[in-house]
Amino acid sequence: MTDAPILEAIALDKVFRVRRKGAPHDIHALKNVETQLHPGETLGLVGESGSGKTTLARILIGIEEPTRGEVRFEGNAVRSAEGWRELRRQVQYVFQDPFTALCPTMRIGAALAEPLAIHGICPKPERKDRVAKMLGLVGLSADMAGRLPYQLSGGQRQRVNLARALMLEPRVLICDEIVSGLDVSVQAQVLALLVDLQGKLDLSLIFISHDLRVVRYLCDRVQVMLLGDTVEHGPTAEVFDDPQHEYTRKLLDAIPDRDHAARISKSALQYG
Amino acid sequence: MTAPLLAIEDLVVSFPSNHAPLHAVDRVSFALKPGESLVIAGESGSGKSLLCRSILGVEPETAKVAGRLDWKGKSLLNLSVAQWRPLRGAEIAMIFQDPTAALNPLLTVGRQIMDVVRAHRKCSRNEARSRAIEVLGTAGLPEPEHRLTSYPSELSGGMRQRVAIALALSAGPELLIADEATTNLDVSIQAQIVTLLHDLRSKLGVALIFVTHDLDLAAEVGGELLVMYAGQPVEMGPVDTVLADPCHPYTRGLLRSAPTARSSRRTPLRPIPGQAPKLGAVGDGAPFRDRCPVLISGLCDRSRPGWTEAGPSHRVACHRFEQDGRDGLT
Repeated sequence: MTDAPILEAIALDKVFRVRRKGAPHDIHALKNVETQLHPGETLGLVGESGSGKTTLARILIGIEEPTRGEVRFEGNAVRSAEGWRELRRQVQYVFQDPFTALCPTMRIGAALAEPLAIHGICPKPERKDRVAKMLGLVGLSADMAGRLPYQLSGGQRQRVNLARALMLEPRVLICDEIVSGLDVSVQAQVLALLVDLQGKLDLSLIFISHDLRVVRYLCDRVQVMLLGDTVEHGPTAEVFDDPQHEYTRKLLDAIPDRDHAARISKSALQYG
Repeated sequence: MTAPLLAIEDLVVSFPSNHAPLHAVDRVSFALKPGESLVIAGESGSGKSLLCRSILGVEPETAKVAGRLDWKGKSLLNLSVAQWRPLRGAEIAMIFQDPTAALNPLLTVGRQIMDVVRAHRKCSRNEARSRAIEVLGTAGLPEPEHRLTSYPSELSGGMRQRVAIALALSAGPELLIADEATTNLDVSIQAQIVTLLHDLRSKLGVALIFVTHDLDLAAEVGGELLVMYAGQPVEMGPVDTVLADPCHPYTRGLLRSAPTARSSRRTPLRPIPGQAPKLGAVGDGAPFRDRCPVLISGLCDRSRPGWTEAGPSHRVACHRFEQDGRDGLT
């Protein structure tokens, strides 16, 4: 982890101006937030709804423009449209809802080939092979390419979304709540796939989740956010075992825990 | 012994098809007394939501409900709309998974709750208003009297879910059915709602059916646990007992698939291979047979396992367990 960061956010501020009862009103979504992602690592972004984790991720790939601050990729500030185009090839985003992230009338094969066409990096005749190879990589059969999204289960769709993000061979993958809508057994399959792909493709991951159990399982480092501020960051095991900030402690206490619950019910039995 | 509020025996919910009827809920039995809680755990398609809807008589129109479904000793099957009116929402209330869909976007929060109160009890507008403030407070909504004039769109997801809970509580139900009521909420709000449900049980004696796919959350809620797979009950017993000593291969698989508060990549998750069977694909055998690591070929694909005792009030429906006990499981 001594390597230079691959993706960085420097002193990001984001203010959304909205109208409330007619009067302009500023919402401070991010306040001077810094983040660093090193090659090969998995960074967990945690915090409750409204803490700014998705806003931060959206700024990192340029969907949202920061009010102040900058994004650096491999040490260079990204400013020009050219720079953002290159960054979006190297940094890919996987969205939360596997149902709305795919065009309902586009066959899976076409959806997977689209990024190649947009970036013009693979000659048309070879695209079909690339798509079949990628489907194999995420554990789907090649005949999936002819299907439409509605014919797929939630887990299969999330695999397709992963495959689509990986088509351009990115170096960074931003996963925004990608397993929260899935059943436990499917969630485990997708997590196992993610770990496997990360090893094979040398990916760096930013993993956003409100499920702290998944974050603890997957992430090397974790950054805890509250109302647009970073309240604590560090190696996952350290933060989880010895939280320094009161808010982190509160969050960790709220994790449902079968062992903890069993202890409580044995000692108290007040609801028995 | 108090008599059970709700008694369900061999409940079957099926959908007609060109061939045999498709059983989405297949022979489920349980009983619930005042203040007791039952957690129903299972994944999408396990029939848990349909089971809840059938209890409230709001299953899809094409569904056929059979078996015994008794509320305070009287059958809930084939009731007329007029017969349901004093029960649904009043004695039995449900909190749905998606509060955005459960609330009317065009009416204020206060109006929606007051409507429910006045539908079930003869009272003045003022009394209904103070009842609305009271239940919003009980559901943990800050400044309830100011929230009466809010529209659902002005509230956050967590606050909307509290309004949905307040709505369910407004007529003072004796049974509360929470269908994945905390699934999309932040952990801290989820913990608050679980505490609230504990309070309702211990203080008001409300019985609870809590549906979830999160077994850690099931442990926090407590009470009895019913694990369902493909519409069939596969394991049942006190939550702590079942989680400490899971005896069905599916329950074991679920526990291994879920990261806990202490797991890390060094102990990889072990997902259950394959996918849940489609509706109607189970047939006569054990429902879990296609994904089961301890399958007995020739038996599991032919006959459905009955209940085997695994301990005091702990039952398992598994041929392997019946034959070899805990040693037969992985």
